[in-house]
Amino acid sequence: MLDGLLDGYTRSILIFTGIHIIAAYSFYVPFKTGQVSLGQAGFMAVGAYAAGILTVKFGLPFPVGLLVGGLVTAVIGVCVGFPALRIKGIYLLLLTLAFAEIVQVVILTWEYTGGAQGFQGIPFNKYTLEYVYVIVVLLIIFFARLERSSLGRAMDSIHEDEAAAEVMGIDVVRVKLLAFGLGAFIAGLAGVLFAHHTTYVDQVSFSILLGIEILMFAVVGGCTTYWGPAVGAAVLTLLPELLRTLRDFLELVPLSWTDFFPMNRIYDFMYEFLDFENEKRLIVYGVILILMMIVRPQGLITRDTLRPLQFLQQRTGHV
Amino acid sequence: MSEAGNSISLRADKLTKRFGGFYALKDFDMDVAKGDIHAVIGPNGAGKTTFFNLVTGMLPADSGRITFEDEAIDDPRPSRRTMRGIARTFQNIRLFGQMTVLENVMLGRHCRAYLSLWKALRNTVLHRPLGEAEEEREMRGHALEILDFLGLSDERHAKATDLSHGKQRKLELARALATDPRLLLLDEPAAGMNPHETEELDDVICSVRDRGITIILVEHDMNLVMGISDRVTVLNFGTKIAEGAPKEIQDDPTVIEAYLGEDVSL
Repeated sequence: MLDGLLDGYTRSILIFTGIHIIAAYSFYVPFKTGQVSLGQAGFMAVGAYAAGILTVKFGLPFPVGLLVGGLVTAVIGVCVGFPALRIKGIYLLLLTLAFAEIVQVVILTWEYTGGAQGFQGIPFNKYTLEYVYVIVVLLIIFFARLERSSLGRAMDSIHEDEAAAEVMGIDVVRVKLLAFGLGAFIAGLAGVLFAHHTTYVDQVSFSILLGIEILMFAVVGGCTTYWGPAVGAAVLTLLPELLRTLRDFLELVPLSWTDFFPMNRIYDFMYEFLDFENEKRLIVYGVILILMMIVRPQGLITRDTLRPLQFLQQRTGHV
Repeated sequence: MSEAGNSISLRADKLTKRFGGFYALKDFDMDVAKGDIHAVIGPNGAGKTTFFNLVTGMLPADSGRITFEDEAIDDPRPSRRTMRGIARTFQNIRLFGQMTVLENVMLGRHCRAYLSLWKALRNTVLHRPLGEAEEEREMRGHALEILDFLGLSDERHAKATDLSHGKQRKLELARALATDPRLLLLDEPAAGMNPHETEELDDVICSVRDRGITIILVEHDMNLVMGISDRVTVLNFGTKIAEGAPKEIQDDPTVIEAYLGEDVSL
C-alpha cells in the first residue's frame, strides 16, 4: 500500500518505531496495576518463536502466527503472573528479569528452532508496516477506552493502594493477572511482527537490554497516561536516527577549518560519535534518562500536558 | 429481621490475633444486632482497628470464628467479604488520590456492576464507541445518588486529595456505601473533624442506619458515640471489659477507671 511512497530505510525505521510502541504498551498494562516488568523482551521472544514455529515448520500463514503467537504468550504471561502476584517492587523486577533470562537459555539450547545458530528462514511479511500501525491504532483506541472504563479504574486503584482496592471489592488477584496476561499478549504481538520483519531471530534479538529499553520507553514517555509509552518509544527510537543525520551537516564543514591539529581530531571524534548504531544509541538513552530523572521524573507526557487537548474528548465520563 | 434467629448481623466468636507475643485481640466475643449502631470503644492500642482488619480479612485471625448473617466467613480475601456485604472506611484516609470524587465512588460500585472480569474487559473492548455501557451508566447513576445523599455532588469532579479533611472522610463513607453493604465498619469517622462537621456526621450515620445498614463504629468522640449508639462494647488490651447500652457504659466503674480515667465525667 505504501510501497511507492517510502524508501526502504524510512520504512524500516517506521516499522521499528511501531514495534517499540507496541512493546512499550506491553509494559504499560501491567504497570497500570503497579507491576513493573523487565521481562517484556522475554515475552516478545516467546511470541516470535511460537509464531515462527507455526509459519516455518508448519507453513501456516502470517495472521495465524500473529494471533496464536500472541495467545501463547498470554498464557505464558499468566503463568509468570501467578508467582508475581505475591511480590512487589524490586523483587518483581528480579523475577521478571529471571524469566527473560530463562527464555534466553531455552532459545540458546533448543535445537528445534536452531539453538545458538538462531531461528532462520522466517518468512518475510511484506505488510509489516501496515500490520504494525493498525495494531498501534487499535491499542491506542483500547487504552483510551480503558482509561474511561471501570476496569481501567480498578487497575489504577490497585496501583495506588492495593489493600484499599481489595477492601473496596476489587478482585486484585484477577485484575493483576489479567493485566499481566494482556501485557504479555501485546509483547507477543510485537515479537511476532519483529521476527517476520527481520526473518531471523536469536537470543541476542531479545536480550535483557531490550527489556531495559522497553522500560525506558515507558519511563521517558511517562506512564500516567496512555500517550506516554507511545511518545517515549517514538522519541527514543527516532532520536538516534535524527542524530545520525547530524553527520551529514558535519560534512558541510569546509575542510580548511579542520585540517590542523586539534580540530581534525575533534572532527574525527564527532564524526565517529554521531554514528548511532546499535549499542551506541544506549549512550544517548543514558544521557536522556539521567536528564529526565532530574528535570521531569514523571515522564514527557502527563495529564497536565494533555489538558489543552481535552476538548477532543469532551465526553470522558463527565456528567 | 423476619425471624428471631436472624437478627444477628455479625458474630465474633473467641477471636484472637497475636503480633509476636502481644495479643492485639484475645478471645473476643461480640454480637452485633441487625440495624444497630454498635460502637466499639477503648484506649489507643486496645485492638479496635485489629478487630476491623480481622472482619474485613485484611489480617488473618489466629483463632476464632466470624459469622456474618448466620454464615461463617471463610474466604480470606477482603474483596469476597465486600461482595458478601461488609464494607469499611479507614482511620487514616485511604482514598485514591489520583482519581476524582466521582471515580472513587464508582470504583466502590465496580464489584456490584461487574460480577465477572471478562464482562468488564469486553465492555472496554467491544462496546460501541459512542455512549457508554449499561453497567457504566448504572455505576455512575448509583454513585451520583450516593454523592447527593452525602452532599458531595458539587465536588464530584474535584480530585479526591483536593477535598477538605472532613469531606475526604465523607468520601470514604460514600465509597464504602457504593459497595452496597449490609454491614458498615466505620473506623474513627470523626477524627480530625470540627464540631460542626461532627454534628453533621451524626445525622449522616443515623440516616445510613435508616437505610437498613448495620453499623459498627470505632470512635474516640464520646459525645458522638453516646449520642447515636444502640450498644457499646469496651475493649482494653485486646479483651472486652464491658458491653451494654450507652447509659450503662457511662456508669460502669471499670470502664471509667480503665478507659476514661478516674476524674472524667460523661
